[in-house]
Amino acid sequence: MARSVIDPVTRIEGHLRVECEVENGVITDAWVSGGLFRGMEAVMQGRQPSDAFYIAQRICGVCPISHGHASTMAAEDALGITIPNGARIVRNIIEAAQFLHSHILWFYTLAALDYVNPAKALEANIADTYALAEAAGTSTANFAVVQNKVKTLVEGGDLSIFTGAWLDHPGFAADMPAELHLIAVAHYLEALEIQAEASRVIAIMGGKFPHFMTSIPGGTSWMPTEEKLDDVLFRLMRVRDWVMNTMIPDTLAIAPFYSDALSYGGGTGNFLAWGVFNRESLEMKDRYLPNGAVFVPTSGLTVQDADPGKIAEYVEHSWLSEGESGLNPADGVTVPPKEFPGYDTGDKYSWAKAPRYDGKSTEVGPLARMIVAYLRGVEPVKALIDSTLEKLGAAGKPEVLVSLLGRVAARNLETAVVADWSLEWANELIAAVKGGGVEFFKPLENDNGKGRGMWEAPRGALGHWMNVQGGLIANYQVVTPSTWDISPRDKDGVRGPMEEALVGAPVLDPERPIEAGRIARSFDP
Amino acid sequence: MSHAYTREMHPLAFVVSHWTNLCAMVFLTLSGLYIHYPIFPGFMGAARGTHNFWMFVLLINLVVRLVMGFTLKTSKLAGGREKELDIKNFLPQAENRHQLWPTIKYYLFLKKEHPLGGKYNSLQKFAYVLTVPLILLAAYTGFALWGPTSQWSFFLAGTTMVANWFNGGVGGAALMPMRIVHYWTMWAILSFTFIHVYLANIYGFDADRIMFAWKETGTDHA
Amino acid sequence: MAYEDRAFAEQLAARGVTRRDFVKFCGSVAAMLGLSESMVPTIASAVESAAGSKLYPAVWVNGGACTGCTESMAQATYPDVATVVLDILSMNYMETVMMAMGADAEKALYDTVNNNEGKAIMIYEGSVMKGWDGNALRVAGEPSLKILDDLAPKVAAIIAVGSCAVDGGWVKAGPNTADATGVSMYLAEKGIKTPVINLPTCPVNPEWIVAMVVDVLLLGELESGAILGKLDAQGRPKLIFGQTIHDNCPRRGHFENGEFVYQFGSPEEAKGYCLYAMGCKGPQTQTNCPIVRWNNQTSWCVESGSPCIGCGNFNWVDNGAPFLGRMRKVAIGSGSHNGGFAPGVAGAAVGGVVAAALGVHAIGMAATGRLGNMPDTEDVKEHDRKKGGDK
Repeated sequence: MARSVIDPVTRIEGHLRVECEVENGVITDAWVSGGLFRGMEAVMQGRQPSDAFYIAQRICGVCPISHGHASTMAAEDALGITIPNGARIVRNIIEAAQFLHSHILWFYTLAALDYVNPAKALEANIADTYALAEAAGTSTANFAVVQNKVKTLVEGGDLSIFTGAWLDHPGFAADMPAELHLIAVAHYLEALEIQAEASRVIAIMGGKFPHFMTSIPGGTSWMPTEEKLDDVLFRLMRVRDWVMNTMIPDTLAIAPFYSDALSYGGGTGNFLAWGVFNRESLEMKDRYLPNGAVFVPTSGLTVQDADPGKIAEYVEHSWLSEGESGLNPADGVTVPPKEFPGYDTGDKYSWAKAPRYDGKSTEVGPLARMIVAYLRGVEPVKALIDSTLEKLGAAGKPEVLVSLLGRVAARNLETAVVADWSLEWANELIAAVKGGGVEFFKPLENDNGKGRGMWEAPRGALGHWMNVQGGLIANYQVVTPSTWDISPRDKDGVRGPMEEALVGAPVLDPERPIEAGRIARSFDP
Repeated sequence: MSHAYTREMHPLAFVVSHWTNLCAMVFLTLSGLYIHYPIFPGFMGAARGTHNFWMFVLLINLVVRLVMGFTLKTSKLAGGREKELDIKNFLPQAENRHQLWPTIKYYLFLKKEHPLGGKYNSLQKFAYVLTVPLILLAAYTGFALWGPTSQWSFFLAGTTMVANWFNGGVGGAALMPMRIVHYWTMWAILSFTFIHVYLANIYGFDADRIMFAWKETGTDHA
Repeated sequence: MAYEDRAFAEQLAARGVTRRDFVKFCGSVAAMLGLSESMVPTIASAVESAAGSKLYPAVWVNGGACTGCTESMAQATYPDVATVVLDILSMNYMETVMMAMGADAEKALYDTVNNNEGKAIMIYEGSVMKGWDGNALRVAGEPSLKILDDLAPKVAAIIAVGSCAVDGGWVKAGPNTADATGVSMYLAEKGIKTPVINLPTCPVNPEWIVAMVVDVLLLGELESGAILGKLDAQGRPKLIFGQTIHDNCPRRGHFENGEFVYQFGSPEEAKGYCLYAMGCKGPQTQTNCPIVRWNNQTSWCVESGSPCIGCGNFNWVDNGAPFLGRMRKVAIGSGSHNGGFAPGVAGAAVGGVVAAALGVHAIGMAATGRLGNMPDTEDVKEHDRKKGGDK
């Protein structure tokens, strides 16, 4: 029995520690610790509702768009504003661009190095690499130059971002051909340009990325011009083509070599989504990716409407433990400790609170969204998942998605779905502008009210709660997706979703638990 | 005893200077408020040009008025024609000291009789002298905000100091606290003007006749 | 040489960068560093030779960060982030992209700095978290302050990227629960003399990091000390942070014409009028955003229709909020954002009180029968009387 620790977990946003109990090569218990407390909610107090938009998105530099939108929606809900249709479409496009950016960056820059080994790419035969790329239906690149670059790094001794990496780890699939490693490394470099292209769509409509400027309460301050509209459309087309011709084929080519990851890493099997991408009704249930809650262990593959009233946040194992436990965020408090209690896996061990939905430890993220959309019969999600299951040899068995590989696949499939939709919305906006009379902003009128913005970041369900009194924010609470997924134990000692996903996973080398890293990163925490 | 206003009390040069001050204050205040928030569109360039122009006028006028104070002679007494150097009538003198407290008491209704004063009572003298630093403060804070001069170390030092008081940051961010001080200076000058206009007119409008039209009143040959 | 050139061109081509793009990039770097056009070939050959030789050791440390600055760096083009971290710097520690994890990652950090004492560059992102003796941010089972305490004295220079690293950023905004501060302030507290180059804005603009990398590393200006002369009193490169956004704003003409946006979504907004009336902080924010712009020069805040919020300023949240208002609240001293008062209200209140007091006073004057009864004046001046000049 040994404690296996990864601290810091790299290639994520923020600071995370994963500590596992390993017995006979299998993780038997796990503790996940969020390492940072900044006090965002306190900064909000006493400021104007429109200020919250600019500050709140700075919680997360990888998903600022979603935080900005949730904050703005909370202000609009509190002050009773319905945004004009033009603003709805603009926000869908900005949000979609961030999803594309985030998922591409996550898969290639953050997650891929757990499955792909650049050192193996050195052994690849260039001609065979082209042949393999063609066979896999993925795009080609100048593989010789990429291989040469890797060679220069390795031979020059300046490993740069590969310094200290476990390049000889036995956890890399032994039967995965060197050529496939090389293809992935080439696309790793290419992905940097494509994710930047997706970000440029945000820059056009929001000024810059990360941290955008335009989705203020009331609508958007961005006004389309013909020049900007086709700039948006053509950049989205470029990203979409790359996703379809490179990212999806890469995923399908690599996945079979890690098919054992279908058998572990599933977690609690409880899923929650608030939904994202509004239709004209602005209803959560009606969204392109709708809201829903699924509890596989207790009620199987059935979906129910998600209700923000059923959230309670527990702080028994959190360092933020001086406030009352079990509160709903609408009345929530964030009380930092007077003295730091110390790191103790038996007691308090994380800055994160433990949110529970209907009392259950619940996972959020693309897997939750895809399962909810699948069970609600949303197209093209349903068709895409069915065909993917077929390719993975699990036709008609959507429950296999509740696994490490399922979580990875769900994120990449969602990328494809959102890429298609993003073009649809760009065209919808062009049609609306052509039709004339489209509006983008409605001024604020009220000074008092309580509101919430329930939305989705690329990494999962996100909620902002705002109480406005006399035109100023009287209370502000945020429940981020990572808070759900990296949650510590709750008052009953029930593990958080990531902790639960770690339990039962194999670990070849407790000194170098690459498998635990894979599971942690599969949540994109 | 006299209630007369003579041209020896307020020579023509002072009347011109007073008019100049009035125009400058009006234009500076209105253009300044517009720059602070352009309540209707179309005039930012004009407002900034106006503000800059009248700022120079006000400053030059201040210098000219001070020089005149040391060179021109005005009447020693209210309603009088016998003259001495203006600055002796303008600056508070040791002999005014005994009048100060009774004057304040009079205006606070704590004393029935107004003490005998000269052309200006001692309270008035203090108020007029105060306008000099107020105008200089407005000018200094204005130059600290104005693009061409804001980086001069003389002005930058003030900007930094003010920013520190208001926890306001450095560099460009420090301009906002300075802008606020500039804005408050306007209110201080406006408040002075309110009091000035009130007191000048509370006993009648003869003062306006001499200061605006250079018309004598209450004299034997009026 | 010819071979190296070809190899470098191939590396660029593999990322879809043409030779022409590359020279263009060198030109924009020259402009940003205040160098003449004649320096372009020098920069180009410096970048090229760096690509072929031993890489410069560097570490990228995340403090209390949102990772937005790393994200921003990933948006850099010409050179893109891959060129920077693979061809110019040996970025041996960068939490968000490095392959290693856990103890081996921390080892890479310490080894890089210890094995290159006085030579490595540290790029620091995020606030320095002092709360709870540094436990507000824990890395590798320790308060993260340990990283600065241990390594800051041993690096050649620290580039503090983003407003959080520069002065604590939004994390330091009132009430600053977690006791955040900036790198240079923390080093001053600890008496560590390592030079700090401050690159504010939230997030940092990657073009500025690239400019500093060229300046410091390729042109050797850190070793020569020339770089320090290019910084202002706050440690910011003067050429990047010397002029206000207002000075360089493409909408400046609308400002001078008095053409303003008074309402988002209005025809004025559609015409791209000036955002001054919406609370734009451009007049008091010194960055070259309007020139360099963001995301590969795609756009920037004002171009997208948003007023500048002044994220490049020190203490930018407390100083800039309300972001859509012309003036912030004023609080003298430590400045809690909940307290304070609006300067416009304060000014008008003083004027109003004076006017009201005068009104009341006039009533008093009327009641005491003084209205219109001018007090008598002296008929002889006091000093004349004393001198016996009594008529």
